[in-house]
Amino acid sequence: MSHRYRATRSDAHDSDFKHRSSGPSRWSHCRKRGIDGSLRSHSDEDGDDGHSDSRNSSFTTPESAAPVSRCGRQSDWGSQVEDEEMRRDVHRDMQRRRILGSEVNQRERKTSSGSSGSCDSREGENMETDEAVLMRRQKQISYGKNTLAYDRYIKEVPKHMRQPGVHPKTPNKFRKYSRRSWDQQIKLWRVKLHAWDPPAGCSQEHTLSDNIEELDLDDIVDIELDFPALADSQNAPSSLLVHSSTAENEDCSATPVKVKKTEDPDVA
Amino acid sequence: MENCNEDYRIQSFDVDTQKLLKTALKDPSSVNLEKVSNILVNQSLKDHLFSKEAGRICYTIVQAEAKQNNGTVFRRHLLNRLQQEFKEREETRKRSLQGWVCYVTFICNIFDYLKVNNMPMVALVLPVYDCLMRLAQPDALLNEEEVDCLVLQLHRIGEQLEKVNSQRMDELFFLLRDGFLLQEGLTSMARLLLLEVLEFRAGGWMLSSTAHKYYYSEIAD
Repeated sequence: MSHRYRATRSDAHDSDFKHRSSGPSRWSHCRKRGIDGSLRSHSDEDGDDGHSDSRNSSFTTPESAAPVSRCGRQSDWGSQVEDEEMRRDVHRDMQRRRILGSEVNQRERKTSSGSSGSCDSREGENMETDEAVLMRRQKQISYGKNTLAYDRYIKEVPKHMRQPGVHPKTPNKFRKYSRRSWDQQIKLWRVKLHAWDPPAGCSQEHTLSDNIEELDLDDIVDIELDFPALADSQNAPSSLLVHSSTAENEDCSATPVKVKKTEDPDVA
Repeated sequence: MENCNEDYRIQSFDVDTQKLLKTALKDPSSVNLEKVSNILVNQSLKDHLFSKEAGRICYTIVQAEAKQNNGTVFRRHLLNRLQQEFKEREETRKRSLQGWVCYVTFICNIFDYLKVNNMPMVALVLPVYDCLMRLAQPDALLNEEEVDCLVLQLHRIGEQLEKVNSQRMDELFFLLRDGFLLQEGLTSMARLLLLEVLEFRAGGWMLSSTAHKYYYSEIAD
């Protein structure tokens, strides 16, 4: 086996290291999962290009990135363990889905995400159970969920406020879909999620949270004027953040600009 | 985290590194996890005392990262370093017996601590067995260091290992019986250790109280 798989490879092969957040900065994490097109979502068909040159040359030709069937797709322990974990999660999800099946099905029939051209198969009767398929789909879903856009989305729009068609909805991996249909749904879902990408200019995220209940508008005005004095007050952390956000407000062009409970470096 | 030093035995690191590790434990996404994993692996490969419990700090960082952002960066780097070292274990053993013993101790400790859904990581099972089988080879049995390492690991994770692959455990114990019986040049300490572990496994991974008295009471006195 080649010894070339080193931990440091990830730096050199950033763009190839397709699926995990091992980039040098937090933000490359976001970019890597950006809409690169089908290349990203076809994780299995990529043949794990990031690892192709770590394979023994007797398995593949140097240029080829075909997966090795003998040892499985990924021979590195990190990936093996992740796959193992995903497999267990998928099985657990399957069990849950079986039990909750009909209940969920009713709810889902009411909502129809624009991307779902599904043959509305009834849960339990016609559930997708092929492990390989479920694993692949779960990977695609995980890539999408592992983005800053998704984080921001779920913080901003709680589930009960989601409107079908307007808000992206994670495709249901347990439904029977053709491969094409599924891949298309994933693509559309990812595209929709991009509406929540962090704005390019900002270095900080701003999200409106329950701060809005704690502060009334008078406080905001006061804060701007009396900033130093408020350092002692109990509301100081959230107040300061409102202050900083209103300052940065002008810099950011993001659609909802909000306050987030981030740590202000000045307040230790 | 005042008790951090004792809990994770990080006193052996310099102050800056200690700070880095403490940050990794609390806020993993804010540090370079690849660097952290290399630090921990490198230390484990030379500091035997550290390698015995390094799994703990690794486990905590894995958990912290998972909790913080569902990340697996640290774990992945850790495992891939382990794999790299595994591939080079024979060279390591030739170069430094101590380094080799540290490696085995470390990988077994990781196996012990890092579970996936409370199950041992499948990817590590055969490699761990390979390491133990190597320790049970005739040339290794001649070194008390290696015998000591072997029996220690069996005490700590033998039962778990057997559960996930009993056939390999059987094979290992064939080697141990042969070693005990036939190997010339074993020190009496080595024989004692082997006998004890044979009885230990035979007793369902525990020693009967009388056996315990035989092997351990003298030490206590």
